[in-house]
Amino acid sequence: MDIASLKKEWTGFEFDTADFVVEEQEMLDFALACGEVEPRYTDATHADFQAPTTFTSKFSGRRILPKDFPRIAKRGGFDAGKCVEFHAPVRAGDTITGASRIHDIYEKTGRSGPMIFIVHRMEFRNQRRELVSIVDWRMVQQP
Amino acid sequence: MILDLHNHSVASDDGRAKVENYCQWISNRKLPLDGFVLTEHRQFDQASDYRALEDEYGLLVLKASEVETDYGHVLVYGVNEDLLHAFDFTSINLSLELVIKEADRCGAIAVPCHPGRPKVGMCAHYAERGPVEGVSVIETYNGGSRGDENERALELAKTHGYAGIGGSDAHIVSHIGRYGTKIDREIKDEEDLVRALRDGAFEAVTWT
Amino acid sequence: MPAPEKKRFEDVSFGEDLESGSPDVSLETVKRFTRASGMKFGRFTDHEFARKEGLPGAIVPGIMSQGLLVGMIHRWAPGSTVVKIDTVFRAPVLVDSTPQCRGVVTDLDADARQVEVDLTIVNEANETRVLGTATVRLQADNPQ
Repeated sequence: MDIASLKKEWTGFEFDTADFVVEEQEMLDFALACGEVEPRYTDATHADFQAPTTFTSKFSGRRILPKDFPRIAKRGGFDAGKCVEFHAPVRAGDTITGASRIHDIYEKTGRSGPMIFIVHRMEFRNQRRELVSIVDWRMVQQP
Repeated sequence: MILDLHNHSVASDDGRAKVENYCQWISNRKLPLDGFVLTEHRQFDQASDYRALEDEYGLLVLKASEVETDYGHVLVYGVNEDLLHAFDFTSINLSLELVIKEADRCGAIAVPCHPGRPKVGMCAHYAERGPVEGVSVIETYNGGSRGDENERALELAKTHGYAGIGGSDAHIVSHIGRYGTKIDREIKDEEDLVRALRDGAFEAVTWT
Repeated sequence: MPAPEKKRFEDVSFGEDLESGSPDVSLETVKRFTRASGMKFGRFTDHEFARKEGLPGAIVPGIMSQGLLVGMIHRWAPGSTVVKIDTVFRAPVLVDSTPQCRGVVTDLDADARQVEVDLTIVNEANETRVLGTATVRLQADNPQ
């Protein structure tokens, strides 16, 4: 597979947007399951109650890859890692819009054999169009 | 001199360490290292110049590469212009025979790393296809190894008479200095290192 | 109960260890996380299902591992802001196991009042399962 061509053709353009409503109970469960103890994450009555820092990493759009993206995975795939940039708090009741693009594509070999890394970037904005976070998801597909 | 011969910086796709922070860590933790080598994945970082850091911290900072072959990953020390034109460092399908041959021709040395690791280590490939000529040194102590992977590497070295080096395979700052290589002479640059590795003037060491 | 004292940038030193601990990755807690995250894969919540997929047992979702590391940072530095966290999921963390979350300060930026922290999650055999870094912005001073 020609990775350079794949990258040139499929990176850098927005291929999906999706809206998500932020639910208070999900914020609390996420925070408590992750061992958060700060009241701004665990107490819905706190003046600064907000979603945990990496909360937006749970959202995925209507499409994970652009329409007509070539089928690479013959053996399956997995999540190789995530990078979350926090820009502004997410509050209960917010409507967050996530815009997806492919940020990078590269290949390498590892313990599980040859892998193609697709870096999926989602930019999240709230209903006031304020940037709240950017999440890079490194998904591995195994040819 | 003791050098940590296998580490990655932010220049590698999965590296998260800044080189200055490696230097600070070695100094702060008083690690018994005289320097380290940056072995970036599938590239040679020609642009970076670490001489100022070397002067500030009194450490030797050398540059090398980790490439991917049909017998697993290989560290290449002494990368130069000739070698950069000899094969594609970004390929994940290089021939180990070619990498060894071209390294020898260009005055560098190719050292298979983490040989005990599945798929990307030499042991599994040797078991299937037999040994490759031209290997003289392998990495016997790798800081990222799991289970008995280092033991398998040591066994391979013993079976084939290979000398062994040590390296941390650090991708974050705090992982540098888990293993090293004790070299019996002063090393000032990459050429000195290649000569020492060719002469067998070293042993893999650990202090953790 | 008084709020914990916020950590100031001036109180942090290079090489400082965050208090390590063994997070709760019991099946019940992981199920709570997957419900909150809308994750419906059996590999996270059913040991038998995971084994059929070739895993040793149910695994902790990568984003939960990341969240656990953020929790550790907040316990070390109450009131801080994790500006960025970047984690590589090297190998599965098993549900109902006893992993350890660790952190150590590896860079200080006085101008931005930010520190960088190395993060790892290791299993009982001390093998690294998750590793990465976080950039954490600390308080200027302690109010009151």
